[in-house]
Amino acid sequence: MAVTEEPGKPRNWSERIQALQDRVYSAIFHNYVWQSVFRSGYPNTPRNQMLVVATNVFLHLHPTRIHKTHVKITHTYCLGGLTFFMFLVLTVTGILLMFYYVPSVERAYQDIAALETNVKFGLLMRNMHRWTAHAMVILVFLHMMRVFYTGAYKPPREFNWVVGVILLVLTLVLSFTGYLLPWDQLALWAVTVGHGIGGSAPYFGDETQLIVFGGFEIGPNALIRFYTLHVIALPLIAAIFMAVHFWRIRRDGGMARPL
Amino acid sequence: MAVDAQRPTARAATTSRPRPKREREEEVLVWPDLVFIEFIAAVLFTITFLILSVMINAPLLNRANPDVTPNPSKAPWYFLNLQELLLHMDKAWAGVLLPTIALGFFASIPYIDRSRGGQGVWFGTKYSVRLAVVAAVYTVFVLGLLVAFDAGEDSRFEYATRWVPSCDNAAEHAGLPCLKDQEGAAHTGFITMKDISKRLQFSIPFPKIFGTSAGDIEEGSGDEVLTKDGWLDWPEDVDKIPVPFNNFSCCYGSLHLWEGMNLNLASIMAEQVLPLLTIAFFTILILYALFRIGWLRTKRDVFIVMFTAVVTIYFALSLVGSFFRGEAQALIWPWEVKVDEG
Repeated sequence: MAVTEEPGKPRNWSERIQALQDRVYSAIFHNYVWQSVFRSGYPNTPRNQMLVVATNVFLHLHPTRIHKTHVKITHTYCLGGLTFFMFLVLTVTGILLMFYYVPSVERAYQDIAALETNVKFGLLMRNMHRWTAHAMVILVFLHMMRVFYTGAYKPPREFNWVVGVILLVLTLVLSFTGYLLPWDQLALWAVTVGHGIGGSAPYFGDETQLIVFGGFEIGPNALIRFYTLHVIALPLIAAIFMAVHFWRIRRDGGMARPL
Repeated sequence: MAVDAQRPTARAATTSRPRPKREREEEVLVWPDLVFIEFIAAVLFTITFLILSVMINAPLLNRANPDVTPNPSKAPWYFLNLQELLLHMDKAWAGVLLPTIALGFFASIPYIDRSRGGQGVWFGTKYSVRLAVVAAVYTVFVLGLLVAFDAGEDSRFEYATRWVPSCDNAAEHAGLPCLKDQEGAAHTGFITMKDISKRLQFSIPFPKIFGTSAGDIEEGSGDEVLTKDGWLDWPEDVDKIPVPFNNFSCCYGSLHLWEGMNLNLASIMAEQVLPLLTIAFFTILILYALFRIGWLRTKRDVFIVMFTAVVTIYFALSLVGSFFRGEAQALIWPWEVKVDEG
């Protein structure tokens, strides 16, 4: 960084602008408050850059170095990472929605309607939750296609592919359970179609309807079951499988590349 | 970093290729090279979805009312493909068994194709790009054909089968196939596959050696009567075929899964055997054709065709369900789609 050099007298305009940039940079990143939050400055040596990744709780999912072909966008299009990012956005917006939502047949619809009109940014939060949920389903499919067409399921990554298939199912079920919660006509009848499909399981149709949907029609039981599954059970299970998924990427030797 | 798992087998390592560059020289640091890309991707998506959410509102219809059924009622788009399958075959196959088979197929891919070659690059085998394209185009074409054929009123199926006469003047067509039309309706061909079990009727001579006929059975003996008149009538005579041991009660009645079960052969044919044979036929057809022209060489190639086909079916049928299904799930054009919310 220029701040470590001896500042000479600027000779032309470009050097003047450079000097101004350095002063602004210094004012932002080298002031007393900033340095109280971030104990060390920008890690500008390879050793420090690796230490950042290895010791930071959020970054340590990564290895410290990766093969240079893997940072090419067209190798992965960031699809897996973006799927996970959608999950994070859904968690944040979902928690905000939970503040205003009561999963009872009497209140659910009314709460969503009130959220849209009475709550500041409530409509925005609900829209974000809805569209990122659809995006996550699409991204998880695209990610699966990327992994398949690049042959990344091959040994030693067989099991991680299976974990991925489980995560695909979890994503679909998460999205489906959330579909019922607004308790409007769209939700009720879409889930009724799913209820019928569940009931068509050979031999265990009735049991499926009773256990998953809490009855032979969509009512209060289904709503509370879907709510519990949607906000706690399934995200927790998905998080566990995601942890295994990410951990196995590194255990299996990072991303696939030609032998 | 666990680079060892990445290494080829010992056999590959001993071949006398020029020594590749050391691992370290080929690597970049995750900070900043990768973290920066991830950050930009996350920011771009956040901004995109913020703008999208400001512009387009999530749907919220009237309060749920179990007494008012919207027409058509549709599943979420990612399950519309299953709902579409329900129109064409038995609900257990469409809703549960085929999706389970598809997921099992996905999960089993790496355990069947165990080759290590071609990983880490897009479309690693010689013909894989054209295989994927051909599989996708072929699947869309076949799906379009099948959906149009099995569409109901005014479908190709109906025109193709109009030659089957109506059962109204059955006297002239004794034993020949005929179609049971609705009361007072004009004669049509059978319009969906399911009509084979519901509207199609025919009789074939059924000699006594193949089964019992009514004359041989004493009144009230409890034996099942397969044919009554020396003719096997479709579908009346085949829609209640007892499963062996279906009156056999053992230990705990409820554990005997097929107790009291009779097979409806007519509907099994129309809703299970024929649809599944159709799927199998078109799958084997494309695989055989690609094999004969020499594009299919490895298991990986077969999986590229089948994976592409399954993913294409998933999205294509979702599109059909979203944009081509109107009231009572009739096949219509996208600009005619409207939902009666009740």
